[in-house]
Amino acid sequence: MRALLHAANIAVIVFILLPVAAVFIGSVQSEKSMQADTKRLLPAEYTADNFVVILSKGEQKGRIFEQVTYLPDNIKKFYTAFANSAIVASSVTLLTLLFGSLSAYTIARQRFRWTLFLLQANIVARFVPVIVLMIPLYIVVRSVGQLNSLGGVIVAETGFLLPYAILILAPYFDAIPPELEEAARIDGCSRLRAFIHVVVPLATPALAACGVIIFIASWHELLIPLILNARPDFMTLPVVIASLVGDVFVFFNLMMAICLLALAPTVILVALLQKYIVEGLAAGAVKG
Amino acid sequence: MSAGQFAFFMNLPTLVCLGLVLAYPIGYAAYLSVHRVGLAQLRRGEFPFNEWENYSRVFEDPLFWVAIKNTLVFTAITVTSEIVLAVLIALLINQTSVWTSRLTRFLILLPYAIPPICNGLIWSFLYNFQFGFLNRILFTLGLSDTPINWAGNPDTALYAVTVPYIWRTLPFAIILIHAALQGIPRELYEQAAVDGARAWHRFWHITLPMLRQIIAIILILRTAFAFAVFEEILAITQGGPGDATWVSAWYSYKITFSPPNNFGMGSASAFILAVMIGVIALVYMRVVYRRVTL
Repeated sequence: MRALLHAANIAVIVFILLPVAAVFIGSVQSEKSMQADTKRLLPAEYTADNFVVILSKGEQKGRIFEQVTYLPDNIKKFYTAFANSAIVASSVTLLTLLFGSLSAYTIARQRFRWTLFLLQANIVARFVPVIVLMIPLYIVVRSVGQLNSLGGVIVAETGFLLPYAILILAPYFDAIPPELEEAARIDGCSRLRAFIHVVVPLATPALAACGVIIFIASWHELLIPLILNARPDFMTLPVVIASLVGDVFVFFNLMMAICLLALAPTVILVALLQKYIVEGLAAGAVKG
Repeated sequence: MSAGQFAFFMNLPTLVCLGLVLAYPIGYAAYLSVHRVGLAQLRRGEFPFNEWENYSRVFEDPLFWVAIKNTLVFTAITVTSEIVLAVLIALLINQTSVWTSRLTRFLILLPYAIPPICNGLIWSFLYNFQFGFLNRILFTLGLSDTPINWAGNPDTALYAVTVPYIWRTLPFAIILIHAALQGIPRELYEQAAVDGARAWHRFWHITLPMLRQIIAIILILRTAFAFAVFEEILAITQGGPGDATWVSAWYSYKITFSPPNNFGMGSASAFILAVMIGVIALVYMRVVYRRVTL
């Protein structure tokens, strides 16, 4: 029985690690060594040139890219894309946490018919597919001249992710005993002060759980920045990566290297904040 | 300030956001879907009304129906396999006395951390006909000497794109089921053990009924999201080979954002997708938030 469990676990672990192994092995070899032997699993020689060319903005070509005259501009813009992704994801996280906690708190505490309706609206809004929003948003953002700006992407992502944030946060606020704020109110605190000084400190785990989930969702978001930002200076990492898909001159090894650099931040976040993510995902789906 | 006013002001930013980014665009999408909107109209800023022409053109387009069919097949495969796998793996990582189970549990969230577009590209590398990693594994293990064209064969491409999607979204389902397992009272199992029930009976008569609610939730959520799959399709097949992996979101995207840029038809097709998912959302609200007490 135990042997069977071990075998099942190993099968699951192999399945989980298969793509991770592929991205590592792909990124540390050259196109030439891949083509030389198409049956070999591990590369004949290892190289860091794929990373060097990306991280040096295409200036240090190393041995692999010595002969290569064409490199897509987007590869050279790695730092810009990384910074754009970081700015967008951080701003979206801060804004959704701010707006989301104000809303989730009132939805949990103040039982009016319209707050209940707002909760229901958020539940339905969570299901709205991005593609149906993007066609009108493209036209609207275009007409106000905000295509190719980080602001447009931040506003769109905040609106898109806010319902999910509210659904995650509301059950947490609901679980905080109301007696504490009532005591503060009796001591003469205004509703807002009671919220900021009593409720928010107690809700730190909720904000952490929701914040990390929203940050990851924003870091991963492709369609919104893909459609709104077409200029390389305003692309986020997923858009840069998507732009390489149709490029026949970009080989897998370089793609795997840039993928590895793009996925590292969220992998680190997940490894560090696993506990909060697990709680937040459950809270956002099942509290009924 | 009264409680009502306070609640209103607290919700003002959310109401503005939802109105601006969700309600207005959805209304506008409905508007666009009954007007002629191409690049020329976009430049002029005038969208002539054309009744149901966009919808009838979408319905007459064989590719639209191919996309719907592919979306349904894709959803059916991913959702069923996810639920079966998630129940099995959740039970597996629940065996805290087995050290490999603890290791699996530690690694389970990893796919959740991978950006969907990277996931797609990594799998397109895995599947590659000439240089792919998967074929190399088969060669090394001696399981095959001819390369397999996983995603390039129209007969297998749709199945090939389900695997990366299942890989990426499985952690969510496992975590929910694993959390639900913790909520099953121990006494039920103890009583069953006293009655001499076998492991299989305990699973069938205790575990599974206790998981019914959470399985329903996962079924609905994952169905709604699988309907709108996009990134993996873009990265691995771009709808190909031929039309083997055209799905609904890809259809709307291509109609709208590649020449001849028909925004009206794109909106109509996206609106149809949204209505289908909207029906699922209402079911979800019924199941999960039945007594909206929170």
